[in-house]
Amino acid sequence: MKINKLKSLWHLPLLLALAVQFWPLIFMVSTSFKDMNQIFQASLNPLPMPATMVNYETVLNNFPFFTFLYNTFFIAILVTGLKLITSLLAAFAFVYYDFKYKEVVFNSMLLTFFIPFTVLIMPNYLLMSKLGLLNTPWGVILPQLVDGMGIFLMRQTMRGIPKALLEVAVLESASPLQVLYKVVLHLVRPSVIAVGIFFFINAWNEYFWPLLVLRDKAMYTLPLALQMFISAEGGSEWGIAMAVAMLTCLPPLILYFVSQRFILNTFMQSGVKG
Amino acid sequence: MHKSNWQAWLFLLPATILFSIFFYTPLFENLFLSFFEWNMISPTMKFVGATNYKSIFDSAELIKIFYNTIFLVVVLLFLNFILPYIYSYILGHLINKMQSFYRSALFLPSTISLAVASIIFLWFYNPIAGPLSIILGDIGIASPRWFKEDGLVIIAIASIIAWKSFGYNLIVMLAAMVAVPNELIEAAKLENASNWTIFKKIIVPMTSPTALYVFTITVVFGLQYMLVPVNMITQGGPDQGSSNLVYVVYQYAFVFFQTGKSAAFAVLTMIFYVVFLVAKYKFLDKKVHYEN
Repeated sequence: MKINKLKSLWHLPLLLALAVQFWPLIFMVSTSFKDMNQIFQASLNPLPMPATMVNYETVLNNFPFFTFLYNTFFIAILVTGLKLITSLLAAFAFVYYDFKYKEVVFNSMLLTFFIPFTVLIMPNYLLMSKLGLLNTPWGVILPQLVDGMGIFLMRQTMRGIPKALLEVAVLESASPLQVLYKVVLHLVRPSVIAVGIFFFINAWNEYFWPLLVLRDKAMYTLPLALQMFISAEGGSEWGIAMAVAMLTCLPPLILYFVSQRFILNTFMQSGVKG
Repeated sequence: MHKSNWQAWLFLLPATILFSIFFYTPLFENLFLSFFEWNMISPTMKFVGATNYKSIFDSAELIKIFYNTIFLVVVLLFLNFILPYIYSYILGHLINKMQSFYRSALFLPSTISLAVASIIFLWFYNPIAGPLSIILGDIGIASPRWFKEDGLVIIAIASIIAWKSFGYNLIVMLAAMVAVPNELIEAAKLENASNWTIFKKIIVPMTSPTALYVFTITVVFGLQYMLVPVNMITQGGPDQGSSNLVYVVYQYAFVFFQTGKSAAFAVLTMIFYVVFLVAKYKFLDKKVHYEN
């Protein structure tokens, strides 16, 4: 009995962490359902009384919300799809083949994960300008396809496939592409989906690079649109800003809820050495 | 393993092309641009030798920026490395109920955009009506202007990054924690070892490779994530109080239009990273206990 009681004390720091992590979210939700008066009079009260939809109505009626939504979705889907294809192909090369400079190539790709993209934004910006891709979705998409983490995660999962299975496929004179498509992809499908969702959430949330590339408001993604609702002088429309914030994080949250087991397992793998 | 160089390279081709164009070429272009004076618009660039580097090292700004960078990194290491480390131990070995609930719930903020996080915290820290200022007011403390005061601004920015990264770092660390066999810990307990001894003698050595990884991404991701709140909320202010080695690269290029200085800062930042990564491998990896 005594030991059990002592053990349950360890729940206290965990509950504290939960409170700290969820508090900001609760304020986002409740503020988005409050009118201007309540926001300033009762900012500590998590329950909007009465709840109002006025902020959401403003967002939907006065701003091109569905354009932002479409832009974000379009970019996130293309980044996800293209990144999945390139990292699957590359990871397959690292697992299936033995070739010269393999380690060097792998490490030079993994290195991109450890160097912050920021140090490369100016040359990349100049390149996009030369290619005429500024203010286009492709200008946002292309540099995001460089991601050593995707290749690393795919290689980790593919390494789990028994060598014998690949050999059998070769004996039946399957081409490498067939091996990848029919054997490998078939076996690692859950991981591919998890990595895909992880890519999608990251691309959806991206703020900094789209901010540099996209100029017209009609091109904006949702995270960029958020900037429109705050001003440094403090005259921000907090209710509207929180409503947009809510709508922005809803798709990643839904994806997380439906696939959290896969996602967490993939993330847990990402720290494994090898 | 199949030995066919050209087939392997065919599979690697798309990734290789992308990585060369958008990563390795820009890396060298920075070095090139750092020796010129240019404003991104003018048709001609002026070769100025090492002037850009010289003016960086001669300015008082560098010390402040370097100090800010270190300060931010130290705060982040506490919030996103030490705390998740301790929490993963509690979660992995000290409780036996609700583990997967805590795991899923604590990870949740990591799926949220930093732009959203910045907006929420901007309201949270609002000195007039924000929740924090009301609470501070109730206990008789006047809320500071979090984003307008030297020092505090870095802590406030760090808290936004920490909120987003904590769950991810915890999950990665937890994977290593649960890999430590429970039997080993039970055996130590039978010998009357305290939780602290177990932590120091068993947990720390056995989880060190992953800890090193979390340490690295805390620094690398932290300095990358920092861009969003700094750009949305402070733009490096007050008076460069929240600027740092990574943010000045953006500032000089896109705010001051001095590509040469931006590129020079980028090169210096790269050197900072390379030194950090090499030091990590040379110095820390030796002390790390790897299985197999």
